Amino acid sequence: MSGDTSKIKLTKKTTRRLLQYAKPYFGLFLVAFLAIAILIGLSLYQPILLGEATDVIVDNAGSFTQEIFMQIVIIGLKYLACVLLTFGISYLQSMMLAYIGQKVIYKIRLDVFKHLHKLDISFFNNNPIGRLVTRATNDVETLSELYSSVIVTLVRSVGTLIGIVITMLTFNLELSLITFTTIPVIIVITVIFTNILMKNWSSIRSKISSLNAFVSEHVSGMKIIQIFTAEKKTYNKFTAKTEELRKSHMKQIVTHSVYGPSIYLLNILATVLLIIFGSKMYMAGAITIGTIVTFQRYIGRFFDPIQEFAEQLNVIQSSKVSAQRIFGLLDEQSSIVEKEDAIELDDIKGEIEFKNVWFAYKDEDWILKDVSFKIEAGQSVAFVGATGAGKTTIQNLIGRYYDIQKGEILLDGINIKDIKIDSLRIKIGQMLQDVFLFTGDIESNIRLKNEEIGQDELIASAKYVNADSFISKMKLQYKEPVLEGGTSLSAGQRQLISFARTLAYKPRILILDEATANIDTETELLIQDALKKIMEGRTTLIVAHRLSTIQNCDNIIVMHKGKIVEQGNHQQLLKQKGIYFKLYKLQYENSEN
Amino acid sequence: MTKEKKKDNIMDLIKSPYMRSFLRKYWLSYLLGIFFLIAIDFAQTRIPVYIGSVIDSLDAASLSTAELTHDVVAIALIAVGIVLGRIIWRYFIFGTARKIERDIRNDLFSHLEGLSLNYYQQHKTGEIMAYITNDLEAVRQAMGQGIMMVCDVICLLIFILSSMLSLVSVSLTIYSVLPLAVIAVVTGLLGPRLFKKFFARQKAFAEISDFVQEDISGIKVIKAFVQQEKEIDSFDKINQNYFSKNMSLTKTRAMMDPIMTLIAGLAFVVAVIYGGYLALNTQISVGDFTVFIQYLGMLVWPMIAVGMSINMITMGSASLKRIEDVLEAKFDITDEPTASEVENFCGSIKVDNLTFSYPEKDMPALKNISFEIQEGQTLGIVGKTGSGKTTLTNLLVRIYDCEKGSIFVSGKDIREMPLKQLRSNIGYVTQDNFLFSDTIKNNIDFVNENASMDKITEAAEFSCVNDNIVEFPDGYETVIGEKGVTLSGGQKQRVSISRAYIIEPKILIMDDSLSAVDTDTEERILKNLKEKRNGKTNIIIAHRLSALQHADKIIVIDNGEIIEHGNHKTLLQQKGLYYSLYKKQQLEKMINEEE
Repeated sequence: MSGDTSKIKLTKKTTRRLLQYAKPYFGLFLVAFLAIAILIGLSLYQPILLGEATDVIVDNAGSFTQEIFMQIVIIGLKYLACVLLTFGISYLQSMMLAYIGQKVIYKIRLDVFKHLHKLDISFFNNNPIGRLVTRATNDVETLSELYSSVIVTLVRSVGTLIGIVITMLTFNLELSLITFTTIPVIIVITVIFTNILMKNWSSIRSKISSLNAFVSEHVSGMKIIQIFTAEKKTYNKFTAKTEELRKSHMKQIVTHSVYGPSIYLLNILATVLLIIFGSKMYMAGAITIGTIVTFQRYIGRFFDPIQEFAEQLNVIQSSKVSAQRIFGLLDEQSSIVEKEDAIELDDIKGEIEFKNVWFAYKDEDWILKDVSFKIEAGQSVAFVGATGAGKTTIQNLIGRYYDIQKGEILLDGINIKDIKIDSLRIKIGQMLQDVFLFTGDIESNIRLKNEEIGQDELIASAKYVNADSFISKMKLQYKEPVLEGGTSLSAGQRQLISFARTLAYKPRILILDEATANIDTETELLIQDALKKIMEGRTTLIVAHRLSTIQNCDNIIVMHKGKIVEQGNHQQLLKQKGIYFKLYKLQYENSEN
Repeated sequence: MTKEKKKDNIMDLIKSPYMRSFLRKYWLSYLLGIFFLIAIDFAQTRIPVYIGSVIDSLDAASLSTAELTHDVVAIALIAVGIVLGRIIWRYFIFGTARKIERDIRNDLFSHLEGLSLNYYQQHKTGEIMAYITNDLEAVRQAMGQGIMMVCDVICLLIFILSSMLSLVSVSLTIYSVLPLAVIAVVTGLLGPRLFKKFFARQKAFAEISDFVQEDISGIKVIKAFVQQEKEIDSFDKINQNYFSKNMSLTKTRAMMDPIMTLIAGLAFVVAVIYGGYLALNTQISVGDFTVFIQYLGMLVWPMIAVGMSINMITMGSASLKRIEDVLEAKFDITDEPTASEVENFCGSIKVDNLTFSYPEKDMPALKNISFEIQEGQTLGIVGKTGSGKTTLTNLLVRIYDCEKGSIFVSGKDIREMPLKQLRSNIGYVTQDNFLFSDTIKNNIDFVNENASMDKITEAAEFSCVNDNIVEFPDGYETVIGEKGVTLSGGQKQRVSISRAYIIEPKILIMDDSLSAVDTDTEERILKNLKEKRNGKTNIIIAHRLSALQHADKIIVIDNGEIIEHGNHKTLLQQKGLYYSLYKKQQLEKMINEEE
């Protein structure tokens, strides 16, 4: 993806989708626009009041009477009313727009999150977590300004400018036109400068990004820098970058320094024109002094709308990029598709069959080659073989986390592609090698978020798998907090919690990828015992690393380079003196005392 | 390390000696900038006066062309002066703030380079990045706009108020300005409230981020237990919480501008009524009235800026404290004051009864390790994962420090040797094969970035990776890493070896650096090692015994202790751990060769 984001056009499709999200709030938008119209009107009226007050004074200077003073007071009160109304309406309007903006991004964020859960595992393997988190958080956040301030500021800027022009014209055509001569110049200058500023801003952003990436990378690789005594060289590279960044910033400062004052100069120019021609027209009796005062206050207001408009372009820029990214994510489709007529499973027996299955994660890099086997309901099978033989892959396929390219996988005789995915998976208790624990406590990691699992059931589950003994010894027992992926618990304890969690969901089929990490002997025995218990009556597939596990299984399937090479029970296979025999000598013979 | 919660003092920013050093360094720029700022603020207050005088003359019907011309020209000149002045002070004040930003950034990086692995294990990269980005930004804003606003406000207030008092009327000034003073109070009060709500919102945002992160990490479990709906429900709650915290913040924020405008408006009301009263009584002229109105308009900004600048400087102070914390972090691994270089450095290593525990861990990672190798010998180290092999080599290169008198290189205690001399004589190929997002050439020539192509190619050929490199479309200029090509595990390993080899170190350490290469390549590299590094010391850590079979000395480490030592032949005879490892690997070979 190129780093030059200034060229990304806001496509019609993206704009339409952004508007879709705002649709439910069109009514509120209209009210907000109405409020803005009123506010513009009020803000235009105030200078007129000042002008009127000035005229009263001019006409009556020196002759103070109650009535004349009352005129002033009335003007003052009208002004007060404007001010109070402005206060109330502008607060309401801000809140309304903020509400809309927040509601919209709330919905977008929820949609993004929901969509993430529809995508399949291979998507998550190919996309770094950090990037996905940014999509759901920062990118969505960027869009909020689009709805709450950009649209409104644009409307207000244009509205104000039009309002001022019209009002001034109604006062005095000639004087207005004279002062309006500065407007085209302002617009041209603003366009030129905005272009320069945006380009420079884009350059600054990419330099900052590059600088941060440099720091991040070199902090991660600080060990390498230090052991190769490359500190000085790296520092020099760094200072070159910071200096470059500073120069870009200086460019920006200088550009701003010229732009702001240029506009100010035009302001003064317009004021000067006002004074010269206004004086002439006053002396000719065409206008009052009050008009001059009013116009002077209006001139000060030409420039804000134009500048605000320009500033919004920057926001639109970053929003473009974010919108593109978010919609890109929402358009991703899962490669695991559920058929329309997929069936819901009720009770199953648990018979599993693989028929001539070929599978590759990528292209034709076959991991499984023509694999066929059948497991009767309630049977336990151990899969053994060298690393990369395909054992773990078989486990991933039963729950349809990946789709096979050739062949069939059947559950109770039904092709798993014909079964509803969630219905299929809930019947399978899958225990991975690395047990993932969520932040929470032990209890929440056993029942997850399923409120139907009662406390008694939960504890019974834990007791059955021998997990209860170590949990009860903890300070807060089941409420003992689990933090940061559960690193405070040992590998053995995590395995037992995983058993408890699986059992609590009452699966008919068990799939276990045995942990290979060093587990202390005591927990080891608990695990073996627990395993024996939960295997009872359930169809079980185990990628086995422990001899005792293998020996407890009804059948052993030996895989080698994606194919099944031997099958049978422990004794039969030893007699064959084939691969199993060698593996036995290599891995299992001396591993247990 | 807990910090006491002190109330962030605005003055902390200026009181800090670190910040003061910058103020001293750039005093001239700041002075010039502030001088012009003051001059312009003064000039700005003159323009309304000229406008007012025109109006008075018009009112008195005594406006002559000469007077009009005089006043208009005056306004024009002042305006041009203001423009020039503005360009100048922005250049100096904002420019200096950017210079300070650059300097602090450089200082931070330089200091980070001296911190040890221990620091980096206790401080996440994300945290460090926040200092260099967000915190630095806050400091820069305080030193640029913050300072500017403070000076601007003070000057404008003085000039405008004094003009209002002297030129127009004392009583009018007091009555109209009073409401404006309320603005300053309001910003002062709303400020802390705003902060609290702002932090509450940041916290809610972090919750969303953490939740998404965790869900994605555990996506397999969520799918396996069909928890999607429940996770979405939980997320919804957090999402809603963020919505409400944001609305709460907005309620306060949306208050600020309207309140300012309201109060400013009230000031105008007072000015109109009371000013009108005075004007009708000819206590002030029409011109004065219009001047006053203009001045009132000019006062609104300073009032708002008071609050803003307080906020900016407060945040800058807090951020500066955090930055200073990093800058004051101690360097764990440094040169002793008595350190002295060794003449004629030779690659002999002696480890004498070395025992080492990681900081804050009770169990020692290494116990009573002793061995010795001469210059030119090859040492093989083998042992289970976690047995302490990498710990040993980390100590050799002083990534962690062991006790004095435990490790001697070239006959000298490494704790008494300058760090630079020790490290520049050791080429360490680490386990993680970390390479930088740069060209392959710069990665190999990492240390000096000035080697000839011949030397670089030679280093690549040493680790048998040259053939792979030339196949890339850009060859050695190929950029690797996130933005470029991803090398395979084996290629990364070999490039890492080249990186260490090219500096021709007296001691070369290869920590599990041949694990991702096939046996043929491994053989070739080992052959190169023997030929090209004849006379230099090599240490090879490996799981595959084939990598260190030919070492002069082999030590077997288990649980932090040397349990066997010798060479390949004698170790096989001992029929201990080495022997059983050897047999296992033979079996593995046999299995892998089965078709």
